[in-house]
Amino acid sequence: MSDQKKTFVVTRFDPDKDDAPRQDTYEVPVEPQWKVLDALNYIKDEIDGTLSHRWSCRMAVCGSCGMMVNGVPSLTCKDPLSNYGDRVEVAPLANFPVVRDLVVELDGFMNKLESVKPWVLTAKQRAVEEGTYRQSPAELEQFRHFSMCINCMLCYSACPVVANEPEFLGPAAIALGHRYNLDSRDEGNRERNEIFRGEGTVFSCSYANECSEVCPKHVDPAAAVNQAKFGAVIDWATSFVVPRREKE
Amino acid sequence: MARAAHPEAMKPRTPGRTRTAPPLMPDEFPTRGRYLPYVLFDATGLVYMLVGLAALRVVWDLGSGPEAWGVVQEQLRHPLYVAFHGISLVSVIFVGVRFFRLFPKAQPPKIGPIAPPPEPVITAMLYATWIGVAGVMTVILAGGIF
Amino acid sequence: MKQLLLRIEPMIWLLFGQGILLGTILLTGWLLVVGLGVPLGIVPAEALSYERAHALGSNVVGRLVLLGLCALPLWKGAHHMRSLSIDFGGASRDALVATVLYAIAAAGSAVAVIAVVRL
Repeated sequence: MSDQKKTFVVTRFDPDKDDAPRQDTYEVPVEPQWKVLDALNYIKDEIDGTLSHRWSCRMAVCGSCGMMVNGVPSLTCKDPLSNYGDRVEVAPLANFPVVRDLVVELDGFMNKLESVKPWVLTAKQRAVEEGTYRQSPAELEQFRHFSMCINCMLCYSACPVVANEPEFLGPAAIALGHRYNLDSRDEGNRERNEIFRGEGTVFSCSYANECSEVCPKHVDPAAAVNQAKFGAVIDWATSFVVPRREKE
Repeated sequence: MARAAHPEAMKPRTPGRTRTAPPLMPDEFPTRGRYLPYVLFDATGLVYMLVGLAALRVVWDLGSGPEAWGVVQEQLRHPLYVAFHGISLVSVIFVGVRFFRLFPKAQPPKIGPIAPPPEPVITAMLYATWIGVAGVMTVILAGGIF
Repeated sequence: MKQLLLRIEPMIWLLFGQGILLGTILLTGWLLVVGLGVPLGIVPAEALSYERAHALGSNVVGRLVLLGLCALPLWKGAHHMRSLSIDFGGASRDALVATVLYAIAAAGSAVAVIAVVRL
């Protein structure tokens, strides 16, 4: 075991016992190649088994282990401890209600994702006899990077609008909806753009660009949100010219 | 100590079964890290509003005749007015640079059948337009031509 | 009011976008000369004598430029001041704040049209 130690100040919260979150301090012997998650797992395994935190793949594809590390949203399985000095503060993701310790309430995020209809929408269901969709590499390239989101929610933690406007759809949901708007197989632009102009309005985005700064998969949700604004404006303008079918 | 987020930030449609601690904003908001330039960017809204109203006042006095024009020219020389316009110029440049950094990636991948130019080309076009138009306006207003 | 604000939001965003883009571009020259150059004596005052200023401002291009640099920044200003209010916990007062700010921008724009027409 390495001789190097770091001090971890970890936010704890037990809804059955605590009025409000508190902080517990742990001295952790760390290895040079460790990520922040390794230290948290050491704390849980060797020091304090009551610590609750989410994690799974350990390789930055599942999106489970997002937390605030020294005040910045971070994917703890990807974030090397060597980025930090002797004191590391770990807290649950900002802007989310906290269920327990480092575990946040996810369902609000799931609600927003579902609300943008993240599936290929077509006017008529494609018959099996028609065969598969054909999509060129250029068509795929239009939306491929927006499909790389691992739903880690770091962007929601970083976004000042998410913090202050509860109805705002948020970066990942808008990027996901935009991903489908750009998909050549999809015919749901109009439906999604109405959602983008609804209660969760994309126009609430105030160009902080923090979502793209913290995204561990370089999805660039800020680009998606701002492209979506443009699409929503075109849709709004054409709605005056092209009659809309009334929803049944 | 982090500021409180909106008490209903990221609230689920159906409440969970246990009590939750209220959401907090990131520690660095509003004055640390990249949040400070972001808040300043929003704060330039006040500068733009005042500059627009000040310009409106100048144009109105131009339309009111030579005496009114003389009065407003005299007022523009007041140190507070000069300081305000100096701050405004810094704000306008700050806004321009920040906005031009974001503008290229905000363009849709296609407008109809046409793809916008590559991002470095869009950036170059933006700066060329800014410098060009500002340069021409400066020369004209300062008496260089016309 | 919130529903009305949502319905006009695309239009506000377009005006705000032009406020940033065109407003910034047009204000730079204006501030350099009218705001700073002439008042500080760097540019001779004769450059903005009444006769010259009026001649420049009252041709078609001049009127459009003046309209742009008076009106468009008001929309950028209003929208960003609204964002600033929201950033600091203003969601509950947003409908009121937005209405007041956009009303100022709209009124200012209307006065700007009159101001350039009467040149």
